Amino acid sequence: MEKGIIALAAALAIGIPAIATGWAQSRIGSAGAGTMAEKPELAGIFIILVAIPETMVLLGFVVAYLIISG
Amino acid sequence: MIKEMLKVQIIGPRSLLDEAVREIHAAAVVHVETLPEKRLLESEFPGRFPIEREKLMEKEALEKYAERLRSFKALIPVPSSHRIVRVGFGEIHGYMAELSAFEERARELRARKDSLADELSIIIKYQKLLRGFAPIVTRLGGLRNFDITGLTLERTREDISGLLETEVSRVTEGKYSVHTREIDEHTLGVVLTYPKSYAPQVKALLSGRAVSEMRLPDEYSDMTLIEALKLMGMRSAELPGLMSGVDGELYSISTVWYGTVIGVARAIEDSLEEIGVLSYASATRFAFIIEGWVPADAYEQLASRLKGLFHDRIHLRTIDIRKEERALIPVFIKNHRLIRPFEVFLAALSTPRYGSIDPTPFVALFFPVFFGLIVADMGYGAVIFTLALYLRRRFGAEKQFLRDAATVFAVSGASAIIFGFLFGEFFGDLGERAGLLHPVLLNRIEALKTLIAVTIAIGVGHVILGVVIGIVSHARRRDLKETGAKAVYLTLIASFIALALAMAGFVPDALIPWAASVMGLSFIALSVLEGMLGPIEFMEALGNIISYVRLMAVGTASVVMALVANQMGALADNAALGVIIAALIHCLNLLLSVLSPSIQSMRLQYVEFFSKFYEGGGRLYRPFKKR
Repeated sequence: MEKGIIALAAALAIGIPAIATGWAQSRIGSAGAGTMAEKPELAGIFIILVAIPETMVLLGFVVAYLIISG
Repeated sequence: MIKEMLKVQIIGPRSLLDEAVREIHAAAVVHVETLPEKRLLESEFPGRFPIEREKLMEKEALEKYAERLRSFKALIPVPSSHRIVRVGFGEIHGYMAELSAFEERARELRARKDSLADELSIIIKYQKLLRGFAPIVTRLGGLRNFDITGLTLERTREDISGLLETEVSRVTEGKYSVHTREIDEHTLGVVLTYPKSYAPQVKALLSGRAVSEMRLPDEYSDMTLIEALKLMGMRSAELPGLMSGVDGELYSISTVWYGTVIGVARAIEDSLEEIGVLSYASATRFAFIIEGWVPADAYEQLASRLKGLFHDRIHLRTIDIRKEERALIPVFIKNHRLIRPFEVFLAALSTPRYGSIDPTPFVALFFPVFFGLIVADMGYGAVIFTLALYLRRRFGAEKQFLRDAATVFAVSGASAIIFGFLFGEFFGDLGERAGLLHPVLLNRIEALKTLIAVTIAIGVGHVILGVVIGIVSHARRRDLKETGAKAVYLTLIASFIALALAMAGFVPDALIPWAASVMGLSFIALSVLEGMLGPIEFMEALGNIISYVRLMAVGTASVVMALVANQMGALADNAALGVIIAALIHCLNLLLSVLSPSIQSMRLQYVEFFSKFYEGGGRLYRPFKKR
């Protein structure tokens, strides 16, 4: 039972930030695609902006790992 | 690194201005600057250099030549190979005269090609109709004293067909014949044949009805339908040949003259620039003055060049940089050839400010290390390295950006090979399965906790390095407030890390009160110096440090995928099938191993590292030089 709850906690710790990251990236992605259509030279900045919300899921990953490893 | 720049003034007699401009152009080191209006108004001696009428006329003529060459270039195709002809300023007029006959011929050929293409497109438009009408018209073509009219009818109005026939029968007193044929899914073709004597009545009947008479193109309007159809068929067969003949002649003109056109165009642009520079110059009654910026290490060479040519008649000197001019100093970035390819990372950012620190050498070190740490596979690294070297060789000097990017990937691939050796990975655990490779440092799958600690330690080092560079950058410019704020910021981060380490038991507990006190004091100091932004920046720095965990997370995902590829391959009954399955998954992983680590490493440079010291808004150094 306790193992199951730990696993569920770890899953939530990484799952919720993953959804948040995906949502943020979808917003940035659509805005960036529009920008790139007009100014292709901004592709580099666009890639960086898309990568920024990934910090959330990484933090989630670290927390999930800490939960599982005890 | 960002090179030191000197502000220079070139002074000489007005009679030598043209020669001086030519020499400065050839020296290719002076970023020419106009004298500010304010300074001209303040001084009673110099004013704007008056450009002579002849010069303006020459400029006008050159601009016309440039326009002519642009049009000529647009008319001819680019040949498969060409050698750019070097053209001197004095030769421009001669070359332009020589080119004029070919320009005229190219224009004629282009006009001919356009008219042929128009004719072909009209014929193609009529081809559907032709196909529908041709058999009937050919059959009826032999009838004398009969008129033939072609009509098109919309399928949705098919009911009109019966009505039309009744009406035609009435006006021709039954002396007619009607042939209907499907042209396409929307259109029916109708051919009416009737004695010529009834033509006016039939034409009158057709005008104003819901049918349209097939209109022939203008070129065929004087012909009968049957003649027009025959001619169209013939022309549609011969037009492509005629067009390719015209293309061939244009190509042969291009083969001979393309290199000359480019050479003359460059010479014209250079000449126009030299005339343009005159408007930057200022002059007294007898002397000219040109001001500009020169890299400090090119100053002596320029001085001796001008001295050798003009024997002290033209004087080069450095002048003091005024306070208001500091933001305008052009930025000249020059790095060692080994790290120069890493300047591609600056392309996405605005030019660094003069006096700040060029991040290229740091990126040249950290980007390959981070990339290698994420990929860390000898097999993948070798593929990336080989592919990058091949692309580097393929991209010539004209595609410098892509060539530099390939060099960056070659270095990063080599780094992946080194880390792959340290972690004992060759296409996942293939090396280990074969008994050839064993982890030297650690096994990435088993030592996740160690890797998290290592990557966070890298983050601490990288972020602190960024802050230190920021301090040095501000200190060099004697920007005391910013230097102090950055130093307090650094103390705050360092004391927080010391406190965290002490609380986790990595350093003696005795450090806790000291670290906490320093942290508290520096937090207050930062809040005073930076306001609300200070604490926010501190929190951001902690987030930045944690962000380096991605080096481990993305790397682990990559190694797990490689292991899956090998395990799936091993599950197959047939050895060949197993190899194919494993190879396919490895290919996919390799593709991800190029994309994801590049983006993640790039992000760590731009967001985590550069944000600590990078100052954009600089003005790029653009020396006055020939093309």
